[in-house]
Amino acid sequence: MQRYDYLKAIAADAGDALAVCTGWSAREWWAVRPGDGNLKTRTLGLVSSIAAGLAVALPRRKVIAIDGDGAFLMNLCGLPTIALQNPGNLIHLLFDNEVYEASGGTATASRMADAVALARGAGYKHALWVKTPEEFRAAFVQAWQQNELTLIAVKVEPGQPKNLPPLKLDEIENKYRFMRYLEATEKRPILNPGFDSKI
Amino acid sequence: METDAPKASAAAIVTSLKKAGIDFVATLPDEKILELIRAVEKDPGFKHVPLCREEEGIGICAGAYLAGKRTALIMQNAGFLNSCNALTTTSMQFQIPALLLIYYAGDIGDRGFTTLGTVTEPVLQGMGIRYYILRRREEIDETLCGAQILAEDSKRPVAVLLTRSVLGVG
Repeated sequence: MQRYDYLKAIAADAGDALAVCTGWSAREWWAVRPGDGNLKTRTLGLVSSIAAGLAVALPRRKVIAIDGDGAFLMNLCGLPTIALQNPGNLIHLLFDNEVYEASGGTATASRMADAVALARGAGYKHALWVKTPEEFRAAFVQAWQQNELTLIAVKVEPGQPKNLPPLKLDEIENKYRFMRYLEATEKRPILNPGFDSKI
Repeated sequence: METDAPKASAAAIVTSLKKAGIDFVATLPDEKILELIRAVEKDPGFKHVPLCREEEGIGICAGAYLAGKRTALIMQNAGFLNSCNALTTTSMQFQIPALLLIYYAGDIGDRGFTTLGTVTEPVLQGMGIRYYILRRREEIDETLCGAQILAEDSKRPVAVLLTRSVLGVG
Protein backbone atom coordinates (compact mmCIF):
# COMPACT_ATOMS: atom_id res chain seq x y z
CA MET A 1 0.00 0.00 0.00
CA GLN A 2 1.15 3.49 -0.84
CA ARG A 3 0.21 6.85 0.65
CA TYR A 4 -2.22 7.42 -2.22
CA ASP A 5 -4.30 4.39 -1.20
CA TYR A 6 -4.75 5.87 2.26
CA LEU A 7 -5.45 9.41 1.08
CA LYS A 8 -8.09 8.04 -1.27
CA ALA A 9 -9.75 6.29 1.68
CA ILE A 10 -10.41 9.54 3.57
CA ALA A 11 -10.98 12.01 0.71
CA ALA A 12 -14.76 11.78 0.89
CA ASP A 13 -14.70 12.30 4.67
CA ALA A 14 -12.52 15.40 4.54
CA GLY A 15 -15.40 17.78 3.78
CA ASP A 16 -14.26 21.40 3.75
CA ALA A 17 -11.26 20.71 5.99
CA LEU A 18 -8.14 22.69 5.20
CA ALA A 19 -5.32 20.40 4.14
CA VAL A 20 -1.64 21.24 4.37
CA CYS A 21 0.67 18.98 2.35
CA THR A 22 4.38 18.42 2.01
CA GLY A 23 6.55 16.71 -0.60
CA TRP A 24 4.97 14.34 -3.07
CA SER A 25 1.75 14.02 -1.12
CA ALA A 26 0.40 17.28 -2.56
CA ARG A 27 -0.11 15.85 -6.03
CA GLU A 28 -1.89 12.84 -4.57
CA TRP A 29 -4.11 14.86 -2.24
CA TRP A 30 -5.13 17.29 -4.99
CA ALA A 31 -6.01 14.28 -7.16
CA VAL A 32 -8.35 12.81 -4.53
CA ARG A 33 -9.66 16.07 -3.00
CA PRO A 34 -9.14 18.95 -5.43
CA GLY A 35 -9.86 22.50 -4.30
CA ASP A 36 -8.56 25.75 -2.94
CA GLY A 37 -8.63 24.54 0.66
CA ASN A 38 -5.36 22.72 -0.05
CA LEU A 39 -1.93 24.21 0.56
CA LYS A 40 1.42 22.82 -0.51
CA THR A 41 4.29 23.85 1.76
CA ARG A 42 7.95 24.16 0.87
CA THR A 43 10.07 24.04 4.05
CA LEU A 44 10.91 20.46 5.07
CA GLY A 45 9.42 19.90 8.50
CA LEU A 46 7.08 22.86 8.76
CA VAL A 47 3.90 21.25 7.42
CA SER A 48 2.74 20.38 10.95
CA SER A 49 3.60 23.83 12.32
CA ILE A 50 1.84 25.67 9.48
CA ALA A 51 -1.22 23.43 9.94
CA ALA A 52 -1.10 24.08 13.69
CA GLY A 53 -0.98 27.85 13.13
CA LEU A 54 -4.10 27.55 10.97
CA ALA A 55 -5.82 25.30 13.52
CA VAL A 56 -5.08 27.64 16.42
CA ALA A 57 -6.23 30.68 14.43
CA LEU A 58 -9.40 28.93 13.17
CA PRO A 59 -10.56 26.79 16.10
CA ARG A 60 -13.90 25.93 14.49
CA ARG A 61 -12.35 24.69 11.25
CA LYS A 62 -10.91 21.23 10.69
CA VAL A 63 -7.28 21.24 9.61
CA ILE A 64 -5.39 18.22 8.26
CA ALA A 65 -1.58 18.06 8.22
CA ILE A 66 -0.30 15.54 5.67
CA ASP A 67 3.17 14.83 7.01
CA GLY A 68 6.00 12.50 6.02
CA ASP A 69 8.61 10.82 8.17
CA GLY A 70 11.51 12.98 6.97
CA ALA A 71 9.59 16.17 7.71
CA PHE A 72 8.21 14.79 10.97
CA LEU A 73 11.67 13.91 12.26
CA MET A 74 13.06 17.27 11.24
CA ASN A 75 10.46 19.11 13.32
CA LEU A 76 10.26 16.99 16.48
CA CYS A 77 10.53 20.14 18.59
CA GLY A 78 7.32 21.31 16.95
CA LEU A 79 5.35 18.46 18.54
CA PRO A 80 5.37 19.70 22.16
CA THR A 81 4.55 23.19 20.89
CA ILE A 82 1.48 21.79 19.11
CA ALA A 83 0.55 19.61 22.08
CA LEU A 84 0.75 22.64 24.39
CA GLN A 85 -1.75 24.49 22.19
CA ASN A 86 -3.76 21.27 21.92
CA PRO A 87 -5.85 22.20 18.88
CA GLY A 88 -8.66 19.64 18.84
CA ASN A 89 -9.45 20.58 15.26
CA LEU A 90 -6.04 19.42 13.98
CA ILE A 91 -5.72 15.93 12.53
CA HIS A 92 -2.05 15.12 11.99
CA LEU A 93 -1.53 12.37 9.40
CA LEU A 94 1.88 10.76 9.14
CA PHE A 95 2.83 8.63 6.13
CA ASP A 96 5.98 6.83 7.10
CA ASN A 97 7.77 5.30 4.10
CA GLU A 98 11.15 5.34 5.89
CA VAL A 99 12.81 7.36 3.12
CA TYR A 100 13.33 10.95 2.03
CA GLU A 101 11.16 10.26 -0.99
CA ALA A 102 11.10 13.71 -2.57
CA SER A 103 14.88 13.97 -2.46
CA GLY A 104 15.87 10.64 -3.93
CA GLY A 105 14.95 7.86 -1.53
CA THR A 106 17.70 7.88 1.08
CA ALA A 107 16.68 6.18 4.35
CA THR A 108 15.37 8.27 7.24
CA ALA A 109 15.80 7.25 10.89
CA SER A 110 12.12 6.33 11.17
CA ARG A 111 12.84 2.58 11.16
CA MET A 112 14.14 3.12 14.68
CA ALA A 113 12.06 6.08 15.83
CA ASP A 114 8.45 5.30 16.75
CA ALA A 115 6.46 8.34 15.63
CA VAL A 116 3.44 7.46 17.75
CA ALA A 117 5.58 7.16 20.88
CA LEU A 118 7.22 10.48 20.00
CA ALA A 119 3.87 12.23 19.59
CA ARG A 120 2.50 10.74 22.81
CA GLY A 121 5.66 11.67 24.64
CA ALA A 122 5.31 15.22 23.33
CA GLY A 123 1.83 15.41 24.81
CA TYR A 124 -0.50 14.61 21.93
CA LYS A 125 -3.85 13.57 23.34
CA HIS A 126 -4.17 10.72 20.85
CA ALA A 127 -1.59 9.00 18.65
CA LEU A 128 -1.96 5.65 16.97
CA TRP A 129 -0.55 3.37 14.29
CA VAL A 130 -2.97 1.92 11.77
CA LYS A 131 -2.31 -0.83 9.24
CA THR A 132 -5.02 -0.74 6.59
CA PRO A 133 -6.94 1.95 4.68
CA GLU A 134 -10.09 0.85 6.55
CA GLU A 135 -8.42 1.35 9.94
CA PHE A 136 -7.02 4.63 8.70
CA ARG A 137 -10.43 5.89 7.64
CA ALA A 138 -12.02 4.78 10.93
CA ALA A 139 -9.33 6.58 12.94
CA PHE A 140 -9.72 9.70 10.79
CA VAL A 141 -13.49 9.79 11.26
CA GLN A 142 -13.09 9.24 15.00
CA ALA A 143 -10.52 12.04 15.32
CA TRP A 144 -12.87 14.31 13.39
CA GLN A 145 -15.86 13.49 15.57
CA GLN A 146 -14.18 13.59 18.96
CA ASN A 147 -12.44 16.84 18.03
CA GLU A 148 -9.24 16.13 19.97
CA LEU A 149 -5.65 16.46 18.80
CA THR A 150 -4.71 13.21 17.06
CA LEU A 151 -1.74 11.80 15.18
CA ILE A 152 -2.63 8.93 12.84
CA ALA A 153 0.49 7.18 11.58
CA VAL A 154 0.83 4.47 8.97
CA LYS A 155 3.76 2.65 7.37
CA VAL A 156 3.53 2.90 3.57
CA GLU A 157 5.51 1.78 0.53
CA PRO A 158 7.34 4.64 -1.20
CA GLY A 159 6.07 5.83 -4.56
CA GLN A 160 2.89 7.08 -6.12
CA PRO A 161 0.66 6.13 -9.08
CA LYS A 162 2.13 7.20 -12.40
CA ASN A 163 -1.09 8.56 -13.89
CA LEU A 164 -1.78 11.33 -11.36
CA PRO A 165 -2.64 14.70 -12.88
CA PRO A 166 0.27 17.14 -12.61
CA LEU A 167 -0.11 19.88 -10.02
CA LYS A 168 -0.29 23.00 -12.19
CA LEU A 169 -0.22 25.57 -9.44
CA ASP A 170 2.27 28.30 -8.74
CA GLU A 171 2.84 28.41 -4.99
CA ILE A 172 2.07 32.12 -4.63
CA GLU A 173 -1.12 31.47 -6.57
CA ASN A 174 -1.80 28.57 -4.19
CA LYS A 175 -1.43 30.93 -1.22
CA TYR A 176 -3.77 33.56 -2.63
CA ARG A 177 -6.39 31.04 -3.69
CA PHE A 178 -6.20 29.42 -0.26
CA MET A 179 -6.70 32.78 1.48
CA ARG A 180 -9.54 33.78 -0.83
CA TYR A 181 -11.15 30.40 -0.23
CA LEU A 182 -10.90 31.03 3.52
CA GLU A 183 -12.47 34.48 3.07
CA ALA A 184 -15.35 32.96 1.14
CA THR A 185 -15.95 30.11 3.56
CA GLU A 186 -15.27 32.01 6.81
CA LYS A 187 -17.27 34.98 5.45
CA ARG A 188 -14.85 37.68 6.59
CA PRO A 189 -11.93 39.59 5.09
CA ILE A 190 -8.58 37.91 5.62
CA LEU A 191 -6.10 39.24 3.09
CA ASN A 192 -5.00 42.71 4.12
CA PRO A 193 -4.10 44.68 1.00
CA GLY A 194 -1.56 46.70 2.98
CA PHE A 195 -2.18 50.17 1.65
CA ASP A 196 -5.70 50.12 3.09
CA SER A 197 -4.43 49.21 6.52
CA LYS A 198 -5.97 51.25 9.32
CA ILE A 199 -2.77 51.47 11.35
CA MET B 1 18.53 53.17 35.37
CA GLU B 2 14.98 53.20 36.75
CA THR B 3 14.12 49.99 38.59
CA ASP B 4 10.86 49.40 36.75
CA ALA B 5 12.43 50.15 33.37
CA PRO B 6 12.02 46.59 31.96
CA LYS B 7 8.32 46.62 32.82
CA ALA B 8 7.82 50.10 31.38
CA SER B 9 9.58 49.09 28.16
CA ALA B 10 7.59 45.87 27.91
CA ALA B 11 4.35 47.82 28.39
CA ALA B 12 5.32 50.32 25.71
CA ILE B 13 6.19 47.54 23.24
CA VAL B 14 2.94 45.68 23.94
CA THR B 15 0.92 48.88 23.47
CA SER B 16 2.58 49.53 20.12
CA LEU B 17 2.17 45.95 18.94
CA LYS B 18 -1.55 46.21 19.60
CA LYS B 19 -1.73 49.57 17.88
CA ALA B 20 0.01 47.97 14.90
CA GLY B 21 -2.74 45.35 14.80
CA ILE B 22 -0.65 42.41 16.04
CA ASP B 23 -2.90 39.77 17.61
CA PHE B 24 -0.81 36.59 17.43
CA VAL B 25 2.64 36.32 19.03
CA ALA B 26 5.04 33.38 19.15
CA THR B 27 7.95 33.62 21.58
CA LEU B 28 11.08 31.96 22.85
CA PRO B 29 12.76 33.65 25.82
CA ASP B 30 16.05 35.28 26.47
CA GLU B 31 16.58 36.67 29.96
CA LYS B 32 16.53 40.19 28.51
CA ILE B 33 13.06 39.82 26.96
CA LEU B 34 11.47 38.10 29.93
CA GLU B 35 9.33 41.08 30.95
CA LEU B 36 8.21 41.54 27.36
CA ILE B 37 7.14 37.90 27.05
CA ARG B 38 5.37 38.07 30.42
CA ALA B 39 3.50 41.16 29.24
CA VAL B 40 2.49 39.40 26.01
CA GLU B 41 1.35 36.33 27.95
CA LYS B 42 -0.77 38.44 30.31
CA ASP B 43 -2.48 40.48 27.61
CA PRO B 44 -5.77 39.00 26.34
CA GLY B 45 -5.30 40.95 23.10
CA PHE B 46 -2.76 38.37 21.91
CA LYS B 47 -2.87 34.70 21.18
CA HIS B 48 0.48 33.69 22.68
CA VAL B 49 2.27 30.59 21.41
CA PRO B 50 5.41 29.65 23.36
CA LEU B 51 7.88 27.79 21.13
CA CYS B 52 10.44 25.04 21.54
CA ARG B 53 12.55 26.27 18.62
CA GLU B 54 12.17 29.48 16.69
CA GLU B 55 11.98 27.92 13.22
CA GLU B 56 8.67 26.22 13.98
CA GLY B 57 7.40 29.63 15.03
CA ILE B 58 7.83 30.85 11.47
CA GLY B 59 5.55 28.00 10.38
CA ILE B 60 2.98 28.63 13.09
CA CYS B 61 2.92 32.36 12.34
CA ALA B 62 2.63 31.63 8.60
CA GLY B 63 -0.41 29.42 9.21
CA ALA B 64 -1.97 32.04 11.46
CA TYR B 65 -1.33 34.76 8.86
CA LEU B 66 -3.09 32.71 6.19
CA ALA B 67 -6.09 32.63 8.53
CA GLY B 68 -6.09 36.42 8.94
CA LYS B 69 -3.94 36.96 12.02
CA ARG B 70 -1.25 39.61 12.26
CA THR B 71 1.76 37.92 13.70
CA ALA B 72 4.95 38.75 15.54
CA LEU B 73 7.79 36.52 16.67
CA ILE B 74 9.80 37.51 19.75
CA MET B 75 13.19 35.82 20.12
CA GLN B 76 16.91 36.27 20.59
CA ASN B 77 19.21 36.67 17.58
CA ALA B 78 20.35 33.04 18.01
CA GLY B 79 16.72 32.18 17.33
CA PHE B 80 16.74 34.34 14.25
CA LEU B 81 19.68 32.28 12.99
CA ASN B 82 17.71 29.13 13.80
CA SER B 83 14.88 30.45 11.63
CA CYS B 84 16.78 31.35 8.48
CA ASN B 85 15.60 28.43 6.36
CA ALA B 86 11.96 28.86 7.32
CA LEU B 87 12.17 32.61 6.73
CA THR B 88 13.60 31.91 3.28
CA THR B 89 11.50 28.97 2.10
CA THR B 90 8.23 29.80 3.84
CA SER B 91 7.99 33.54 4.65
CA MET B 92 9.82 34.93 1.65
CA GLN B 93 9.01 32.14 -0.81
CA PHE B 94 5.27 32.51 -0.18
CA GLN B 95 5.36 36.27 0.41
CA ILE B 96 4.13 36.11 3.98
CA PRO B 97 4.71 39.10 6.25
CA ALA B 98 6.27 38.54 9.66
CA LEU B 99 7.29 41.06 12.28
CA LEU B 100 10.44 39.78 13.97
CA LEU B 101 11.31 41.30 17.34
CA ILE B 102 14.87 40.16 17.93
CA TYR B 103 16.82 40.75 21.10
CA TYR B 104 20.23 41.94 19.92
CA ALA B 105 22.59 39.84 22.01
CA GLY B 106 26.22 40.74 21.45
CA ASP B 107 25.39 44.34 20.61
CA ILE B 108 27.77 47.08 21.70
CA GLY B 109 28.34 46.82 25.45
CA ASP B 110 26.82 43.34 25.77
CA ARG B 111 29.03 40.55 27.08
CA GLY B 112 28.96 36.88 26.18
CA PHE B 113 27.48 36.78 22.69
CA THR B 114 29.76 38.94 20.61
CA THR B 115 30.11 36.30 17.88
CA LEU B 116 26.34 36.23 17.54
CA GLY B 117 26.28 40.02 17.52
CA THR B 118 28.91 40.08 14.81
CA VAL B 119 26.93 37.97 12.35
CA THR B 120 23.40 39.22 13.05
CA GLU B 121 23.24 42.27 10.80
CA PRO B 122 25.25 40.72 7.92
CA VAL B 123 22.87 37.73 7.91
CA LEU B 124 19.82 40.01 7.87
CA GLN B 125 21.42 41.97 5.04
CA GLY B 126 22.34 38.79 3.16
CA MET B 127 18.76 37.58 3.36
CA GLY B 128 17.42 40.93 2.21
CA ILE B 129 15.42 41.41 5.41
CA ARG B 130 14.97 45.08 6.24
CA TYR B 131 15.78 45.80 9.87
CA TYR B 132 15.72 48.63 12.35
CA ILE B 133 17.70 48.94 15.57
CA LEU B 134 15.59 50.17 18.45
CA ARG B 135 17.60 51.90 21.19
CA ARG B 136 15.27 54.48 22.74
CA ARG B 137 11.87 54.00 24.33
CA GLU B 138 10.53 57.13 22.61
CA GLU B 139 11.06 55.41 19.25
CA ILE B 140 9.19 52.20 20.05
CA ASP B 141 5.81 53.25 18.73
CA GLU B 142 6.92 54.74 15.45
CA THR B 143 9.32 51.89 14.76
CA LEU B 144 6.99 48.98 15.55
CA CYS B 145 3.96 50.45 13.78
CA GLY B 146 6.14 51.39 10.82
CA ALA B 147 7.78 47.98 10.67
CA GLN B 148 4.41 46.24 10.65
CA ILE B 149 3.17 48.47 7.80
CA LEU B 150 6.35 47.61 5.93
CA ALA B 151 5.95 43.88 6.58
CA GLU B 152 2.31 43.86 5.43
CA ASP B 153 2.87 46.05 2.44
CA SER B 154 6.01 44.27 1.22
CA LYS B 155 4.65 40.86 2.29
CA ARG B 156 8.06 40.03 3.72
CA PRO B 157 9.60 39.56 7.14
CA VAL B 158 10.81 42.79 8.76
CA ALA B 159 13.09 42.74 11.79
CA VAL B 160 13.35 45.12 14.72
CA LEU B 161 16.47 44.60 16.81
CA LEU B 162 15.74 45.24 20.47
CA THR B 163 18.76 46.51 22.37
CA ARG B 164 19.35 46.42 26.12
CA SER B 165 18.75 50.15 26.36
CA VAL B 166 15.30 50.06 24.79
CA LEU B 167 14.36 47.05 26.89
CA GLY B 168 15.50 48.88 30.01
CA VAL B 169 17.66 45.95 31.10
CA GLY B 170 21.17 46.23 32.53
